[in-house]
Amino acid sequence: MAEIKADETVDVTHLVCPNTFVKAKVVLDELDEGQILAVRLNDGEPAQNVPRSLKEEGHQILSLDENGDGTYTLYVKKVGD
Amino acid sequence: MFITVTGEKKEVKDGITIGELLAQEKVQTPEYVTVSVNDEFVEGEGRDATVLKDGDSVEFLYFMGGGAAWL
Amino acid sequence: MALTDEQIERYSRHILLKEVGSKGQKKLLEAKVVIIGAGGLGCPVGLYLAAAGVGTIGVADADVVDLSNLQRQVAHTTADLGKPKVESLKESIQAINPDVKVNTYQEFIDSSNIRQIIRDYDFVIDGTDNFAAKFLINDACVMEKKPFCHAGILRFNGQLMTYIPGQGPCYRCVFKEMPPKDAIPTCRQAGVIGAMAGVIGCLQAMEAVKFITGAGKLLVGELQTYDGLNNVFRKVKLPPCNGKCAVCGDNPTITELVDYEQPTCELKH
Repeated sequence: MAEIKADETVDVTHLVCPNTFVKAKVVLDELDEGQILAVRLNDGEPAQNVPRSLKEEGHQILSLDENGDGTYTLYVKKVGD
Repeated sequence: MFITVTGEKKEVKDGITIGELLAQEKVQTPEYVTVSVNDEFVEGEGRDATVLKDGDSVEFLYFMGGGAAWL
Repeated sequence: MALTDEQIERYSRHILLKEVGSKGQKKLLEAKVVIIGAGGLGCPVGLYLAAAGVGTIGVADADVVDLSNLQRQVAHTTADLGKPKVESLKESIQAINPDVKVNTYQEFIDSSNIRQIIRDYDFVIDGTDNFAAKFLINDACVMEKKPFCHAGILRFNGQLMTYIPGQGPCYRCVFKEMPPKDAIPTCRQAGVIGAMAGVIGCLQAMEAVKFITGAGKLLVGELQTYDGLNNVFRKVKLPPCNGKCAVCGDNPTITELVDYEQPTCELKH
């Protein structure tokens, strides 16, 4: 698959729900429409909930890639201001 | 005829005035109660002259203090 | 200004809301609200705005905490008896959220100082118990073009409305003139359920938060009433200002503030 170039990255592997999503949302809020955020998150609840919550807010989920170390990288494109 | 008084539908006599309704509803100190009919205020002097119609909606707005003691 | 990790965690339940988000939270942190009256209404307003992270909260009240206040003025405790209410509320606010800056005005609010005080704030809370103060706050806010939220409570009833300059009627559009002394019972004479102060004060805090964040619809042109005995919340539509209001109308007759006579039974401690 094509490499996605992120404009900003955030690591939320040290956080638990809902702070994983909250932190991702705060960082995303600072970006401009169309910019891409890469979120590093843990397997399990975060990998399930964070993409879903960001999607519910209207953002576009580009991909969720397994990193091979029990973490994932979520690429999300900011939609709207 | 039926009118709505503070949100509740009520049957009242035909040709009732606001003044009469205030008395009938036992509104205390009516001179200090703001009255609106169909979202328009009716001033004190006009109340006895204002005859209500079927379907009118009447609101009573009361002075209410409360909160902190006198500053 | 970026939110710190601690702030992100503290305000996470706000940030989660689409209508607030980190932008709304930053607006709250930068906002300045003054609460006039640190009593039944002012206490819950102060506590919730502090918890919400409103950056600067002004508190004005000349009174000290009295035993009869504690039935409803939940920011004051038994240990605070005799303490100025502004100090007691300030301590409660800072215990909840040390980031909040609290300005206290332990003085009688009157025509000589109110405009000066409210000028520094974005939003004004009327938490007073008497009509002289309520008309004074209204007229001062109209003159200073300050939005404010009026509220009143009595027995099992409460009401509130919000004034936004140029957008809807003011308190005087609805209630015209000060009622004469003793014409209307106050909660000092007639009593009030303590929780009523909490219900209505929280609704005032809600108005302030919505004003600051821009979320939702304010109680402009509407009087919200609550009948606690019958569990009835109603919104009564208020006609727009007809241009004849003595203070916000086209040709105002009230252009200077005056101090109305204080109500009787003013229990000065």
